[in-house]
Amino acid sequence: MLRIFALPNRSMVFALSWLLFAVGAAFYLRTSHLRHIENPDDRIVPTVRQLASGFWHAAMTPADDDTDAVENAHATVVQQFLNSMLWKDTRASGARFLLSLALLLPAVILGLHMGAFPWIGGFFTRFILLFDKIIALSVLPILFIAFGIGQAAKIMLIVIGVAPTIILDTFNLTKSIPAEQVIKGFTLGAKDLAVTYRVMLPQIWPRVLNSIRLNLKAIALFLFAGEMIASTDGLAYRIALLQRHMGMDLILPYVLWVALLLFLVDAALRLLIRWMNPWFREIGFERPN
Amino acid sequence: MSSLVSVNDVTVRYPIKGGGTHTVFSALNLTIDEGEFVCVVGQTGCGKSTLLRLILGSERPLSGEVRIEERRICEPNRERGYVPQKCSLFPDKTVLENVAFGPAVESFRLHRLLSPSWWKIRKDIREESREYLERVGLSSRDARKYPDQLSGGMQQRVSLAQSLIMRPRILLMDEAFSALDPATRAEMQRLTRSIWKDTKTTFLFVTHNLAEAVFLGSRVILIAKDNSADYSRIACDVQIPDHIRRPDGYPRQDELDEVIRQLECAAMDRKSDEVLVLK
Repeated sequence: MLRIFALPNRSMVFALSWLLFAVGAAFYLRTSHLRHIENPDDRIVPTVRQLASGFWHAAMTPADDDTDAVENAHATVVQQFLNSMLWKDTRASGARFLLSLALLLPAVILGLHMGAFPWIGGFFTRFILLFDKIIALSVLPILFIAFGIGQAAKIMLIVIGVAPTIILDTFNLTKSIPAEQVIKGFTLGAKDLAVTYRVMLPQIWPRVLNSIRLNLKAIALFLFAGEMIASTDGLAYRIALLQRHMGMDLILPYVLWVALLLFLVDAALRLLIRWMNPWFREIGFERPN
Repeated sequence: MSSLVSVNDVTVRYPIKGGGTHTVFSALNLTIDEGEFVCVVGQTGCGKSTLLRLILGSERPLSGEVRIEERRICEPNRERGYVPQKCSLFPDKTVLENVAFGPAVESFRLHRLLSPSWWKIRKDIREESREYLERVGLSSRDARKYPDQLSGGMQQRVSLAQSLIMRPRILLMDEAFSALDPATRAEMQRLTRSIWKDTKTTFLFVTHNLAEAVFLGSRVILIAKDNSADYSRIACDVQIPDHIRRPDGYPRQDELDEVIRQLECAAMDRKSDEVLVLK
């Protein structure tokens, strides 16, 4: 079984990949069942029925503190969802998340230029290397003082936390492009900018997107830290609020919802990489078929 | 014939890890005439690729200068085509896009993007690229493939087409066929020589294979380490006579063996850098 050249069949691999989910679910159901036999009012490990009811409540009713919500007895399911606590929190966190992702684009451009142009690399590299070592959460108080507790501070936290990693990653990827390719670009009539944007960038682009994809969790982590400390909306704000009331029947669906959203963004990015770069294949250890 | 490339008193020296320097060339002189097929041959580490990079402009000498006609070389440009041994194609572009890259970059103007003339130019470039692909023996079906879907020989064909479409003054090939199997290598040698005959482009071909150099070149330069001086120099500079070639341009095997033998003897005996014409 523990052989590097093992050849498991597809159905076996499929079954194996779901095994841990099944074990986790079974363990949860058993624990919840036992706890509810002992104490029918247990709130730590809610039953599936309680979880479903909590999720339905979050997805169909506005938050208690939502003063803008419009009560409408004849609203459709979609209207109810768009008016719900879950959707409004998702929208607030999603906007911050997407804005932070967009702000990583200048980081990619900077990394590309640092790798392509020795003078720019010389100017920025040491500073970014040091900047990368600053723990973003430690500057959170400074950000709140400088930017207030609004949107800007939370987005800056994400940018400070993730941008140096993306810059350095892009820088290293650019530096790793074979010299032959760069020279070839020049011999084919390209000038510095054309070599940078038409030879280097297309080659590193899928790997840069992959790097951003692998940093999605870090982005979400900084977003949640900011929202939990100072926010009036967002998914993390709601989880922090529910924690005070021990509302596990809502916290667990929220946690699973966030995981699902991140999984979907990750899958979308993977599809985007494959669609935009049909030539791209990660080189790895090839096993016999 | 007029002199196209001149290497004048060039010295190349590299720092060595742990201190000190290593001199590759000291006051090296060389001229290459227009239309020549020059093969540079020598052992690994003797500096033949350094010589190619000097002419390419990707390496600068410590002293001396390299000139193309009267212009001093500063960096690589479209005048000099380049076919390296590996990484010769852009992996993110199809075969056709690789060949069309040079003309597309040259004709690109931001303000032209929305005009109908841009689409006409694009179409013409693609048409010309297809012609060059055909010229190196590739079909239109190959044009849609990515470089990693091609064999080594096909990749080098594309690389050749990619360089030739720019009509360079000199085409520099660095161990371009070293990674190919013998049959493909022979095929590529024939193709390269026929392109040289047809286009009259000047070629500089670096190889460690003496037989390949004699087979391909109209002139063979042998670079060897000078043990007394601890740097490399031109040990032998030989014009390959036409009479050893068959009517189709390729040398007969017995003549080829004889030329290689004479070359080896000449390399051992010669003291000066003057051009030797073999009998």
